[in-house]
Amino acid sequence: MTADAAATSATRMPLAAKPGEASTGRSKRSRFGPLALIGGRILAAVPVLFGVSLLTFVALNVLPGNAAQQLLGADATPEQIARFEAELDLDRPAVERYLSWLGHVLTGDLGHSLASRQPVAGLVAERLPVTLELVAFAFALALALALPAALLSARRPHGAVDRLTRIAGMAALSVPNYVLALVLVLIFSVNLRLFPSIGFVPIDEGFWRNVKSLTLPGTAIALPLFGFYCRFLRNDLLEQLETEAYIVAAKARGVRSWRILVLHALRNSAFGLLTIVALNFGTLISGTVIIEQIFALPGLGRLLLQAVLTRDVVVVQALVLLLASFTIAANLCADLLYAVLDPRVRHGHR
Amino acid sequence: MRTRCRISPVVMAAALLPALYGCSRPGQDAGASSASASGNELTVLLDAGYAGAWPGGLDPATSTTGRANLTLMNAVFGGLFQLTADADGSNARVAGVLARDYEVRDDGRTLVIHLRDGVRFTDGTPFDAEAVKFNIERDLTSPCTCAPTAWPWRREEPVTIPDPHTVVLHFTRPYGAVVNALPATNVNWIVSPTALAQIGEAQFRITPVGAGPFRIVSNQLSSKLVLERNPTYWQQGRPYLDKLVFQSIGGEQAAMQVLQAGDAQVYEGMTSTPLIEHAMQDAGLAVTQQPPTSPYVVQLNTAHPPFDDKRAREAIYYATDVEAIRTGLFRGWYPVSQSFTGPGGLFHHGTVPGYRGYDPARARAIVAELGGLHITLGTLRSFVAEQVTTALQSQWREAGIDVSIETHDFAVLIREFQVGKWDAMLQTAGSYDPEASGGVSFRFRSDQPFTGVHDPKLDALLLDAAASFDTHERDGLYLQAAHYISDNAYGPFLFAFASTQVFARDVSGPGLSTKIPAILVNTGIWWQDVRIAAR
Repeated sequence: MTADAAATSATRMPLAAKPGEASTGRSKRSRFGPLALIGGRILAAVPVLFGVSLLTFVALNVLPGNAAQQLLGADATPEQIARFEAELDLDRPAVERYLSWLGHVLTGDLGHSLASRQPVAGLVAERLPVTLELVAFAFALALALALPAALLSARRPHGAVDRLTRIAGMAALSVPNYVLALVLVLIFSVNLRLFPSIGFVPIDEGFWRNVKSLTLPGTAIALPLFGFYCRFLRNDLLEQLETEAYIVAAKARGVRSWRILVLHALRNSAFGLLTIVALNFGTLISGTVIIEQIFALPGLGRLLLQAVLTRDVVVVQALVLLLASFTIAANLCADLLYAVLDPRVRHGHR
Repeated sequence: MRTRCRISPVVMAAALLPALYGCSRPGQDAGASSASASGNELTVLLDAGYAGAWPGGLDPATSTTGRANLTLMNAVFGGLFQLTADADGSNARVAGVLARDYEVRDDGRTLVIHLRDGVRFTDGTPFDAEAVKFNIERDLTSPCTCAPTAWPWRREEPVTIPDPHTVVLHFTRPYGAVVNALPATNVNWIVSPTALAQIGEAQFRITPVGAGPFRIVSNQLSSKLVLERNPTYWQQGRPYLDKLVFQSIGGEQAAMQVLQAGDAQVYEGMTSTPLIEHAMQDAGLAVTQQPPTSPYVVQLNTAHPPFDDKRAREAIYYATDVEAIRTGLFRGWYPVSQSFTGPGGLFHHGTVPGYRGYDPARARAIVAELGGLHITLGTLRSFVAEQVTTALQSQWREAGIDVSIETHDFAVLIREFQVGKWDAMLQTAGSYDPEASGGVSFRFRSDQPFTGVHDPKLDALLLDAAASFDTHERDGLYLQAAHYISDNAYGPFLFAFASTQVFARDVSGPGLSTKIPAILVNTGIWWQDVRIAAR
């Protein structure tokens, strides 16, 4: 599916179903307010998270090798591996290990890394802020670029700006982000020396240094998002402008075109964008794996990759569970924002 | 409006032009765009897939990747011994660092290590024989393959300490490689027993305390290790650097850009030929290719058809054009090897009399005589190995051999050897001392798990060589073993590969700007002697 087609179909979804019930069909529940919505979503999340953890465990156990083999390397003897497997409890039956892990998770204990024996919660706490900041930066940058570009494009469809943003958007979507990352480093680090090529500076060590350290990795993630959001929003805005009666009414009242675009059409188009952003959030955190690796950022993506490479099942399961929770939470936030943006949702009217 | 729209791309192009122009001419003005050290700090990049992965931490007794993390271990713990050499890599020898010297007694059954006087751990406690004994006994319980558990240790009291500065290791039989192998084992890295007791084993994995040239400031596992100068280091005026940062990075291309951006000054163990050439052309970077010790070998499974037939093994020898691979893929940088040693290692002989060289006509004739040869060639996933297997496949196909390639991860490789149904494996077989881990015995002795050969006569030769402390005797025995392997066509050797150090021109130090053979895979850099030239 092309970006435009995807954008168009995603746009129509919330409009057809009416905002607020695009993905869930919760028109009845909305009468009971946001608390019921949150409660319902949390209940629905339990089997999803259970399924995700089970699938992850099965997948990691089906793959050849285990943490003992990966950690000891290619020159370990079978005896050394067997001894280490026993030390790591990997000689216990898989079902027993999974149930034991699940029991601990239910009591809030994510377990200890097989590789480092450090508490997984501590590892996550150490890495999570980096990834969250990176993703937030990328989203902010993508939206900051996409919103004005989409508005300008929608104002004069097929005009020069529209053509330029279409080319830029397609280019940003077409180039894989790891290639984009290397090109950005080549230009802005190697040649212009404007931004660091690797590493992360925490915000408490200086705001601008922090921003500089996130600029290139954030841009490498943001540019493809920009391409997608820009096309999506532009198409949605055009559809609103060309087909919706309230736009015609506003025009008839003599409302200025910019005002119609920003205050009327954009507000309605925001539903679709919000859905896309929420859906992107979970996948984007997983998508930081390559970028964090290239820019040597100590985030969750890097931790996940390292854990997969060492078959550190405990860490992988905890991270997958966390990422799934983020995705669910992001979708929930989107639904709650619908209520904020649309009084019909807030008051339970259809 | 229209005018503005037309200007935008022009402005953008104008802004990017200087940058893109710079990109297209890597050699020119490179000094301005390449790494240079700032202040007295150094950032070292390590491959995230090997030296830059320390998932289990840095405690020598609990880490399972100590051998890959040789450079980190040496920076934090210094080591009892390290391999050194003259600047050109010749005259390599094991030299004392925290140990003053050593002596071999009882025909090789006893190794006496004399420790330096007045050395202290960075927590202020004394570095003495008691601490070393504690460490060795603790390290021998480690699951790490870097723990020398296979050495012939005396069962009772393998380590004794006659006085506070002397440690004695006791063996049941002589083991000739003990001193040469020691710098790449975990017993070489001594931690503070007091700090271990105070911090606890879990935290000690992250922030172990040693007596090396640097101490740990922060340690983010497999990501970033920040070290600062040890102000109480035993050697006056050392280390030169105030701060040393090890940064794990995924991919050599990214690493090269980081060096060129000046955000790091050293990359240890580069393997990509185009990138090494690129670095050679960069005026701001220097390149040192270390003396090779580990030749690539095509292991042949002699317990399993088709290589239980000597003719099939001979066909592989005759079908292999090592020179073409060496020059075509690697610019002729790595020397041809006909045995399990490289020019940087001990007991090296460039040629083995009677070695079967490239002869495609004979290879084709043998394949025809055999009625065809269908094999699978496996290897461990790595840039160099995968290039070589592809080249071998094409050469062997020209000789009529049907070859499938399989690239394995650790786990699959181990399973292949356990099941024993593999045909051929491209591996490295060597180390500074042929007997040290990963050396000839590892690939060719019957009792080893990763061998394709089961020959009692070869076993006897290798065991005799390992047991001797007499250099001439060992040399003779290894030459006989090389002959024997060649005569029986047990596995063709290709070329001795060595990793390459790429670093900023203003950085120098042993193992970085000078040559030191790799004790196993990586060269041990003497971080205490690394310095940045005054600018």
